[in-house]
Amino acid sequence: MLNRRDITINKLKGLGAQIIEDVNSSTVPSVKVPSRGTSNLVYDDAKRYYVLGDRYGKRSLGNVKQIKKIAQMVYVANFSKNLIRTNKTATLRELYYVSEGWDVDFGDQQECNGVGEDLEVMLGMSREDLGLMPEEDGASVYGNIILQEGDVEINALKSGKSGYTISPTIDDVEFVDHDVKRVIAVETMGMFHRLVQEEAYKKFDTLIVGLKGQAARATRRFLKRVNTELNLPVYVCNDGDPWGFHIAMVIISGSAKLAHVNHDLATPDAKFLGVTASDIINYDLPTDPLKDIDVLRLKELLKDPRYKDEYWKTEIKKMIKIGKKAEQQSFSKYGLEYVVDTYLPEKLDAM
Amino acid sequence: MERETSLEKEMSIEPIVSAEREASELFEEFKELTASEFFRRNKQMLGFSGKIRSLTIVFHELITNSLDAAEEAGILPEIIIDLKRVDKDHYILYHKDNGPGIPEDFITKVYCTMFAGSKFRNIQSRGQQGLGCSGCVLLSQMTTGRPVKITSGYKVEDKLKGVEMTFKMDVKKNQGLILDKKEVEVDSTGVAIELQFKDVSYSLSEQGAFEYIRRTMIANPHAKIIFRDPTGHKFIFDRATDIIPPMPKEVLPHPKGVTADDLIFMAKHTDKRRFRSLLTSSLSRMSNKRIDEIEKITGIDFNKRPKDMKWEEAEKIVELFQSMDFMAPPTAGLIPMGEEQIEKGMREILEPEYVKTITRKPKTYKGGVSFVIEAGLAYGGKSGRVVGEQKKAEIMRFANRVPLTFDQGSCGITEALKSIDWKRYGIRDLENAPVTVFANIVSTHVPYMSTGKQSVAPEEEIMQEVRQATMKIARSLQKYLNAKRAAKEEEMRSKIFETFVPVILREAAILAEEDVPEYDALLNKVTRKPKILEDIHAK
Repeated sequence: MLNRRDITINKLKGLGAQIIEDVNSSTVPSVKVPSRGTSNLVYDDAKRYYVLGDRYGKRSLGNVKQIKKIAQMVYVANFSKNLIRTNKTATLRELYYVSEGWDVDFGDQQECNGVGEDLEVMLGMSREDLGLMPEEDGASVYGNIILQEGDVEINALKSGKSGYTISPTIDDVEFVDHDVKRVIAVETMGMFHRLVQEEAYKKFDTLIVGLKGQAARATRRFLKRVNTELNLPVYVCNDGDPWGFHIAMVIISGSAKLAHVNHDLATPDAKFLGVTASDIINYDLPTDPLKDIDVLRLKELLKDPRYKDEYWKTEIKKMIKIGKKAEQQSFSKYGLEYVVDTYLPEKLDAM
Repeated sequence: MERETSLEKEMSIEPIVSAEREASELFEEFKELTASEFFRRNKQMLGFSGKIRSLTIVFHELITNSLDAAEEAGILPEIIIDLKRVDKDHYILYHKDNGPGIPEDFITKVYCTMFAGSKFRNIQSRGQQGLGCSGCVLLSQMTTGRPVKITSGYKVEDKLKGVEMTFKMDVKKNQGLILDKKEVEVDSTGVAIELQFKDVSYSLSEQGAFEYIRRTMIANPHAKIIFRDPTGHKFIFDRATDIIPPMPKEVLPHPKGVTADDLIFMAKHTDKRRFRSLLTSSLSRMSNKRIDEIEKITGIDFNKRPKDMKWEEAEKIVELFQSMDFMAPPTAGLIPMGEEQIEKGMREILEPEYVKTITRKPKTYKGGVSFVIEAGLAYGGKSGRVVGEQKKAEIMRFANRVPLTFDQGSCGITEALKSIDWKRYGIRDLENAPVTVFANIVSTHVPYMSTGKQSVAPEEEIMQEVRQATMKIARSLQKYLNAKRAAKEEEMRSKIFETFVPVILREAAILAEEDVPEYDALLNKVTRKPKILEDIHAK
């Protein structure tokens, strides 16, 4: 069986071969790129994440407005093929600078990223498969898991207080061993350190993952892999506001923007632990009033098919009704240990 | 209708306003006041107001005179002008033409007598802005006190004669005062005049003398003007055509175009014996049947002698004219420039990228005065005016080929042009487009707004014609601009393909790890050589 690397190289070569073949058979070459517009996004109820619909955009070499895109695409494809061949990766920013030496340019980084995504969608491969890495590192992981990254073996319990940082090339990492029963991901590094200090990893036999806001691709890939490969349940605990809700939801059901790779990134079985509107009431948490933009966002979420569960609908409506939001760290009102000693056990029990 | 009666009337009013003096004293003065003396005191009435305008008017009077004289004699006009700066606001002007010349005895009459002849003429003429050449002589004398020098070459019984004359104007007597006179050898007919002026100023502005010459050339492509400016730079405006415009014929005025004053004037100067014959011989479209009708309605005895016509009677007749139906006035008297000649003039001076001209059919305004509107649009090249770094649109107004350089804002032509929705014709902003708009009104009677004769009254029929004419040619310009734009796009399109097709196939070959295929056929297929451009060049 071919590995992902060989599959990617073959697909890239195929793209070039198809263009050459068209020319040889007197056809104006064109490539089909699955449309990534919102109108081509379909929420797959069975898979529980967004997938791309079947609409395609055609890029023809005979069209003056599309020909430049094709030129950019074959260049990026060649660049990517070389990266894979030489076992290197490059960031999108590096790609952008490398393109300065090409016979076709990118107007800006945005345009460059777009062509990268086109290539992903077209070939059905992820950006990481193409050797193109995001700028930022993934989340921090603390807990009893041993990983193999190249020649290095990493114990996420012995990698310092900030734990192991998920590498952008997470697909190259192997899970060697672990002794945990679950994974708890939290939105902020503040909460991450709180859980580490209170030894939550021991108390709950868990990996602690510090998301650092919206989860990076690598983080989501990591969560997906521990969930499916190690059969660990994944819990997400964020701030009690629409933004916290959505960070959890992107982990669970994938993002609209990356619909073409959601099958590798979404973890539909992951559970949202809190903070919910009910938590705010039940635990009588210190709150901030919802801002206009918060209310607007909550109303948007209500229309989003990913939030169609009764659970979500109730919580969102409740939050709009009380007009309040609360941060994770507001549990400190009852002492620093409260979240680990009381809140998490109660919530995990309820799951 | 060229006539100065209105000015004569103003003359009698003027001295009274100047100061508080005894009436008898005033009357004494009034009796002595000749036309020249009057205008000496009121030079703004000659159009000489402002330093720039004064010089432009001088250029106008001399150039117009030369053009008229040459055309009348069937000569292609050629004028040499040399303007030397003596000091600030002090110039010497040398002006020479190749016209038929002026016989010795008439020289001082032409240059020193105001109202040399005043008769009622209903003829399309360039017309005077002020009082013609004598006005220029007066201005020269008033500002510098210097005499005028004239050299005239003319033919007497096919023999070429030449005379050189130095003279002043005797303002009190309204005639010339010859200081020196001698016969000279000349090699051709024509008049050369040398004048000095103070309180005038040469300017390159839109109202200045240079622009006046430039515009004159556009409307008179059969003329040649060689102009040396005060810096010594010589401009040669060559003629763009060898066709001398035909002389306009005098036509009888239309009943709807005359005033009571005009009728009285005609009655005074006629050799006819009765009202009846006066009217039929002096007005167009006036039959005996019509006279009977008028006689019946007004109750005036049309067998009376013209000299006995009373003001009230004239008024009554004119009033009746307005309510009667007459055939439109004859248009034989109108000689437009013609589309071809306008185009030649505009091409020669503006060297435009595109030009389109139109001469409309004759129309009438006020029911009885016929006129023709001609328009031209030039785009690109030297069209428009350079203001700083930018090209601005310019409007060139003409009346019977004479440039109207002042009072643009109040002119009906300007108003009509500005009321056009230029956006509809591909010109987003008329003010800032490299466009020259030409508009010429041809008429025996151009309805000027004021004595300065620099702006045309906003008569609805005239404005409508200006609009229609200009809109018609604007549509052609729009077609051209669209075709040009399309051609440019086609060219860019081809360039894009020529750039990217080889690049893509090279990269695709590297990607596929195959050889670069033969792609000339493909390139031709996608490029589609621009056709529109060829079409334009074919035209």
